[in-house]
Amino acid sequence: MTDVTLIVNGETKTASVPPETTLLKMLREDLNYTGSKLGCDVGDCGACTVLVDGLAVNACLMLAGQAEGKEILTIEGLSTLEKYHPIQKAFEDVAALQCGFCGPGMIMTTKALIDQDEDVTRQNIKDALSGNLCRCTGYTKIIEGVIDAYQEITGKKLPEIKPRAA
Amino acid sequence: MIRRGKGVGCMWYPIGFTVLANPSAATVKVNEDGTATLLTGTVETGQGSLTVLAQIAAEELGVSTDDIHVVSADTDTTPMDTGAIASRTTYVTGNAIKLAAANAKQILFEVAAPLLEVQPNQLEAVDRKIQVQYFPQRCLPIADVALQAQFVMGRPPIGSASYNPPTVGMDPETGQGKPFSTYVYATQCAEVEVDDETGEVDVIYMSAAHDCGTAINPMLVEGQIEGGISMGIGFALQEEMLFDDKGLQLNPNLTNYIMPTSLDMPEIDVDIVENFDPTGPFGAKGVGEPTAVPTAAAICNAIFDAVGVRITSLPATAEKVLRAIKEKNDNDQKILPAAE
Amino acid sequence: MADEVKVADKTETVESLRKIDDNLRLPSVPEKRVFPKEIDVSAARMQTPAVGQRATRPDGRMHGLGQTKYIDDMFFPGMIHAKIKRAGIAHAKIKSIDVSEAEKMPGVMATLIGSEIPVNSFGPSLQDQPLLADDVVRHAGDGVAAVAAVTEQQALDALEKIKIVYEELPNVFDPVEAMKDDAYKIHNNESNIYASKTIMKGDVEKGFADSDFIFERTFTTQMVEHVPMEPHASIGEWDANGRVTLHSSLGRITLGRADISRTLEMPINRIRIIATVVGGNFGGKNEITTEPIVALLSKKTGRPVKCVFTREDEFISSTTRHPFVMEYKTGMSKEGKIMARKVRLICDGGAYCSWSETTLGKACILSAGPYNIENLHVDAYAVYTTKTMTGAMRGFGAPQVCFAYESHMDDMAAELGIEPLEIRLKNAFNEGSASPTGQVLEAVVVKDSLEMATERFGWKEWRK
Repeated sequence: MTDVTLIVNGETKTASVPPETTLLKMLREDLNYTGSKLGCDVGDCGACTVLVDGLAVNACLMLAGQAEGKEILTIEGLSTLEKYHPIQKAFEDVAALQCGFCGPGMIMTTKALIDQDEDVTRQNIKDALSGNLCRCTGYTKIIEGVIDAYQEITGKKLPEIKPRAA
Repeated sequence: MIRRGKGVGCMWYPIGFTVLANPSAATVKVNEDGTATLLTGTVETGQGSLTVLAQIAAEELGVSTDDIHVVSADTDTTPMDTGAIASRTTYVTGNAIKLAAANAKQILFEVAAPLLEVQPNQLEAVDRKIQVQYFPQRCLPIADVALQAQFVMGRPPIGSASYNPPTVGMDPETGQGKPFSTYVYATQCAEVEVDDETGEVDVIYMSAAHDCGTAINPMLVEGQIEGGISMGIGFALQEEMLFDDKGLQLNPNLTNYIMPTSLDMPEIDVDIVENFDPTGPFGAKGVGEPTAVPTAAAICNAIFDAVGVRITSLPATAEKVLRAIKEKNDNDQKILPAAE
Repeated sequence: MADEVKVADKTETVESLRKIDDNLRLPSVPEKRVFPKEIDVSAARMQTPAVGQRATRPDGRMHGLGQTKYIDDMFFPGMIHAKIKRAGIAHAKIKSIDVSEAEKMPGVMATLIGSEIPVNSFGPSLQDQPLLADDVVRHAGDGVAAVAAVTEQQALDALEKIKIVYEELPNVFDPVEAMKDDAYKIHNNESNIYASKTIMKGDVEKGFADSDFIFERTFTTQMVEHVPMEPHASIGEWDANGRVTLHSSLGRITLGRADISRTLEMPINRIRIIATVVGGNFGGKNEITTEPIVALLSKKTGRPVKCVFTREDEFISSTTRHPFVMEYKTGMSKEGKIMARKVRLICDGGAYCSWSETTLGKACILSAGPYNIENLHVDAYAVYTTKTMTGAMRGFGAPQVCFAYESHMDDMAAELGIEPLEIRLKNAFNEGSASPTGQVLEAVVVKDSLEMATERFGWKEWRK
């Protein structure tokens, strides 16, 4: 067993874990942050996405020990008791999530994208989300939610896509 | 060279089980303040059914969606339900809930009638009020009526009901019968780009017009259609469980089993075909499964339009499309008329 | 030595027992739930009338906040983890199963094999599927034994120690081959065909005789997995009154409870199933999988037992979409009216029936398409093969037959020189049309949907 200390959502947390423990397992089972999900355990589905020092990471691919001392932001760290996070609000408003299992990962990827502080296009959004699998939504309303959140947070506007004909 | 094509796929799909009974039961408990709790044995599996069912209960009671709290999916506390299967929840469970809410409402009407000096059958529940039909000025807040019912009349406004879609068994020889109570209809159109040098197919646009009877919640209907299309695209172009000669699956993981990502999704325009089914709750039917039905057909027809090859076995992978294009080219050369 | 203790036939030192306790990683003090204290309720949720509103989802809010508790997010005091051993061989007779070495592995608290399950079979139409195969393995993903241990890793390690002796049986992978009289009978029945359906309407031979053109084509489709993002999961907890509470990702709890009652031979009122929000179903979570297994392991160990499928379990052992072979023959008038259609459907059911009968029935009825066809003959068969079993999946055979009848339609349109939209409008159901089963159809809007989708697409103006 090794002691691992992480700064999770601004709070310092320590747990004693076997060395093979992934960051995801430590967050979920030792620290009880169950918002990040285990969908495949090999980095294919993105349901476990968290931010490690600001970068989106598949927590199932990173050993807990590798994250020693790092700042981890999980889905539980976005909203506060005072403020509903704009990404989470946008996702709720457009019904971006159906079964919701991919949701925390999707939202953390979105957070990383918007935090880059660069101009974003629809293609950028699709590229960014391409590592997060969703089986319910066809990604359409998720992309809509990302656009709404991006516009809300940055004050920038993405060009509208006009529906065809009719 | 990139070649473009358009294709259409049209379908029909039934709601509920084939002939077999597939009942749902529900209980609606109106609270003392006119809000209500709905008990249903169905399971929320992502589609938003609990919200839709709340809307159905709310509509019947004349209150808002937020006035309904839904308790679901616990065999100890919720009534029997056949479950989230066969696109049946909105239609079958919805009908049960509408009936249960109507039973609770009947108690409210019977309590309100003497207060409003009319007969119960002259009342309606609208906008959180129990009011006299065609004379809406005479009304009481539903909260007052619910409180009166429970604490003065001693009749808590609770309603339970069940619903099972009517069917007629099929003749074993000819299959003739009425296996389903109702059906929905839909069409999807696809625009694709096919690279005739690689066989790669890119779906760039899809329009989808789906009938679901009344759309209880259009936003959630759109979500179903968009999601169904993504599943249809996977079925058409990418997904296949592959086995080796011993029967072991070669791709039991999401690395090698390819399903659609955000990059595989086209622009989608969704239209809901206006329709009203008198047998459904407020005219509603269902939408879950049919959304994934015509997509592959539309895409394969668009491939045919683009490069003139008919894909007869799914998925239409790049290898398969390229092979078909090569075969076609070989055949086209063969049938060139010989020079005189 | 004094500090040696005998526990379930294995010798443990106090030291190793302490280590087990170390490994029993119960969650630490629960993290606080962060949610905005004041959240506006969306206007659409507050409005009356409620029907037609774009009401937002309260569960959607929980999903976004990461606060939805799926099964795998639940931890109960003392809870242990179960894993299932997969056969890894497609078709074999089980000569023996030896779990004794597995039981000696660190952290292992119990094992379970099929013969310990009171009624080791289930299925919605035919009860032909074992929960854990105890006699014959019929596909490589069949479960053959389960282990419950303190941690998931310990359970996985112990699976490796289970010794099973198999006697290989012939494989039958191709459904068409499987239908033949001399094919190996996977379930010891007279035939591998376990369900068949027929629809006959009008006189199909006369219809063909009256046709100007006859078109024939065979279509096939592949096996597809549901891929719900949340793998199947369940937690079983046996209590002192002989009741079992099951948290499960099951999409149909009432019928699931009946199945569990049957397999465990216990009264229905002693079983409670709580399904939280299911993380994606699409038909794949409509049957019991591990529920009776975790119930029995909980009974054996006196602890809550959780079993979550790995992604591989999800692929190899859960149900899938049926591969179909679809032979279509259609007679057309030169004006483009369908005169007669004959369809033969072969549905590859895999190792067990599951929802194949339903799938076959729906496919059979829907295979003519939303078109008026006076003369119709459909024959459909579901066949066992030694592959992953197929079951309910979004559309119950409809995506398969739709691919066939709509591809076939465009083939014929091209041959006759009729525009694809035109040929559909010419044949589509009207209000009051009779379905292939003779049902009078109401609220029919096929043509409306055709017109709406093509108009939105810009079908008529569209150029390559």
